Amino acid sequence: MELEKANARLAPRGPWQAVDLGTRLYRHWAGPVTLIWLAMTALPFAALLGVSVQTESLWPILLFWWLKPLWERPVLAFYSHALFNETLAMGAIFRRLPSYARNGLIGQLTWRRLSPWRSFNNNVWQLEGARGDQANQRMRVLASGQPNRAAMLTLIVLHLEQFMTLGLLALLYMLIPWQFDLELSSWFFEQGSLQIVISCLCWYLVMVVTEPLYVACGFALYLNKRTWLEGWDLQLGLTRIGRRRGMLAIALLLLLPVLNPQPARADDQPARQQAIEVLAGKDFMPMEEAHERRWKDQSDSESDWMRALWKWLMEHKPEEKNHDPMSLPDGLIRTLAWLLFIAVALWLIIRILRYLDQGGTTAGRKGESAPPTHVAGLDIRQQSLPDNLTAAINQALQANDIRTALSLLLRAVLADLLPRYPVRVHRGTTEQQCLRALRQQHGEQPLFAYLARLVDAWVRTAWAHRPVEASQVRELLDHWQQLHRGEHAHA
Amino acid sequence: MTHPQTLAEATELAHRIEQQLNRVLIGQQQVVREVLIALITGGHVLVEGVPGLGKTLLVRSLGRVLDLDFNRIQFTPDLMPTDVTGHAMYDPKSEQFRIRRGPAFTQLLLADEINRAPAKTQAALLEVMQERQITIEGKAFTLSEPFMVLATQNPLDQEGTYPLPEAELDRFLFKVLIDYPGHDDETTLVNMVLDGTIAASLDVDSLTAVADADAIAALKTLSATVLLDPEVLDYALRLVRTTRDFPGIIHGASPRASIALARAARAQALFEGRDFVTPDDIQQVARPVLRHRIQLSADAEIEGQTPESALERLLAQVEAPKQ
Repeated sequence: MELEKANARLAPRGPWQAVDLGTRLYRHWAGPVTLIWLAMTALPFAALLGVSVQTESLWPILLFWWLKPLWERPVLAFYSHALFNETLAMGAIFRRLPSYARNGLIGQLTWRRLSPWRSFNNNVWQLEGARGDQANQRMRVLASGQPNRAAMLTLIVLHLEQFMTLGLLALLYMLIPWQFDLELSSWFFEQGSLQIVISCLCWYLVMVVTEPLYVACGFALYLNKRTWLEGWDLQLGLTRIGRRRGMLAIALLLLLPVLNPQPARADDQPARQQAIEVLAGKDFMPMEEAHERRWKDQSDSESDWMRALWKWLMEHKPEEKNHDPMSLPDGLIRTLAWLLFIAVALWLIIRILRYLDQGGTTAGRKGESAPPTHVAGLDIRQQSLPDNLTAAINQALQANDIRTALSLLLRAVLADLLPRYPVRVHRGTTEQQCLRALRQQHGEQPLFAYLARLVDAWVRTAWAHRPVEASQVRELLDHWQQLHRGEHAHA
Repeated sequence: MTHPQTLAEATELAHRIEQQLNRVLIGQQQVVREVLIALITGGHVLVEGVPGLGKTLLVRSLGRVLDLDFNRIQFTPDLMPTDVTGHAMYDPKSEQFRIRRGPAFTQLLLADEINRAPAKTQAALLEVMQERQITIEGKAFTLSEPFMVLATQNPLDQEGTYPLPEAELDRFLFKVLIDYPGHDDETTLVNMVLDGTIAASLDVDSLTAVADADAIAALKTLSATVLLDPEVLDYALRLVRTTRDFPGIIHGASPRASIALARAARAQALFEGRDFVTPDDIQQVARPVLRHRIQLSADAEIEGQTPESALERLLAQVEAPKQ
């Protein structure tokens, strides 16, 4: 299962939010699942309805109702594949039908038929392939924590089904011409063939909607429960961090052996063998294939020094008397090493929490805490600017490169202003937006009026392909130097 | 009535029109600007807002100020396509079929509550909007320029409505959100009605015509001469293309949106008195161009996102162009 391919965002939700997601899943794939439901059930229903009419008995229809868990399985199979971007064709579904019916169906059609948790538990049998005690244990695990509301869902859908059927029957009754003089009681309660056909057809039509919806909601509840228990959202988040934050991931991986060191192994082979046998027993979860990343060609020497470092940090040995006056006490070094380790761990945790808090984006609060480094693609870091700004601008003007001269001046002005007047700047922020944000957040300042003139000159040069006169750039530079000197004198 | 010859004259005329409209539509400066941009660009506008905010007044005023024909159709569930476009009827006197032209034969068409009519009737507007012609009994009638459809829909009352299909939504240049005026603007509005400066009803007699169809055509021609730097155009395209692969958006905008964005940005620059487009102009018109052309994914909707918030994130994340 590749969680990254999921069409829906796998995030921990409340049970009713999960049901809401289920309704969305149904609405998204309403066409295909309705077709699957019709393909699976139309013929059996028609046959059983025929028998029912012939015998004037409702037992065949009851049989159709009893077999609902069977009809629901192909629908669930479709949802489980579609969620991960795999569309199952009708033929494939029919071919795989025996495999869907393999696990837990007998129980579902006998002693578990009236279980209100059907929509939820069906996922364990069908999708996880769990059987017998494994399945029971798995369902106990999934039932832990906050209630999943699957029973309440069954109750709601049951009522929905009944009321919609009654509603359809009432609608049909209202459409019957008055000349037929049909009594309401005879319409609803008589057991004639026509009544059986009409009421059963109404019920079937309602099920065309409610059954795929019921399965989708149960599936969403199951996904939600696994997200809570297995931290799918965290797994996805860390994968994204790993992609976007290569260095951070490497740092985490480097720290991993320190955080989770190899335990010391006692030479107790029989006990180990026994443990393996117990773990391989039926009482535990089914074996799963797992893939993990490992360092390539990791030499023993590397793991040895790591182990030695960890041992040195953890073990407390009485200090030996050292006569070297320059040597530091061993305890002090160990304390410093622990402090460094805790500081690095805390820094990493804070970075990760901030990153997750910002919804996995690099923007967010960056603009508030640290001055921006780029505005509209212009690098405004101090180190990117020349040491002698005036000389650099004059040199550009002599070479008749107005654009470079203006760009240098604008970068210098923004580099000076933004740390003093902080505003939020995104990747998409333009020069004019930056100016507007400054005015909006800090009111009208003399410096902003100057910046407006500068931005105007820059915009004309950059986007109108009409460079301003060199004299105008010199005047802007002089003005800036005056303002700058004035600011410093005032300070 | 003089027609603008230069961009400066065009800007001045555009401001005069805007000023006239803002006299009666108090506190809706943004809406007026966006509708005028659409008019100059030759596009249609979908206006979304609760009743009572002056949607009909806007179109009537526009017709008055620009000296254009104006028709209004109230869309209802039983409205037929021929009620919009017109039909051929048999005249017993002349013993011939006579064409009865529908309300779409106009220059400014207000399609009020467009989502109340079924898809068939909405589709009748497709040909009118895209090709600016109406076909009745196999005969095509070209509409006079300028032709603009201003369709309105109510965001609150969704009972008994037919959502507009994507193909039709894409034909609207802008989706304009008309909101309640601010406290100060509403105070001004009430005071003006109380002291008789403006009438409480849809009275547009106080407005004077400051332009005509030829002037609008001149504005359109001049806006096409506004310089669009390749980097700025690339920025517009990057914005549109990002909508197709952006978290929370399941369907992005079509190439028609890229064209609309570039054209509308030119008209925006004309309003700002510039003969060139800046990235800021692109951002100004990006929301009305894109908000009806993107479709949010199911889980984004569950999380309470709106097209506005998605576009906000998108505009913040797509890097501004640099020189």
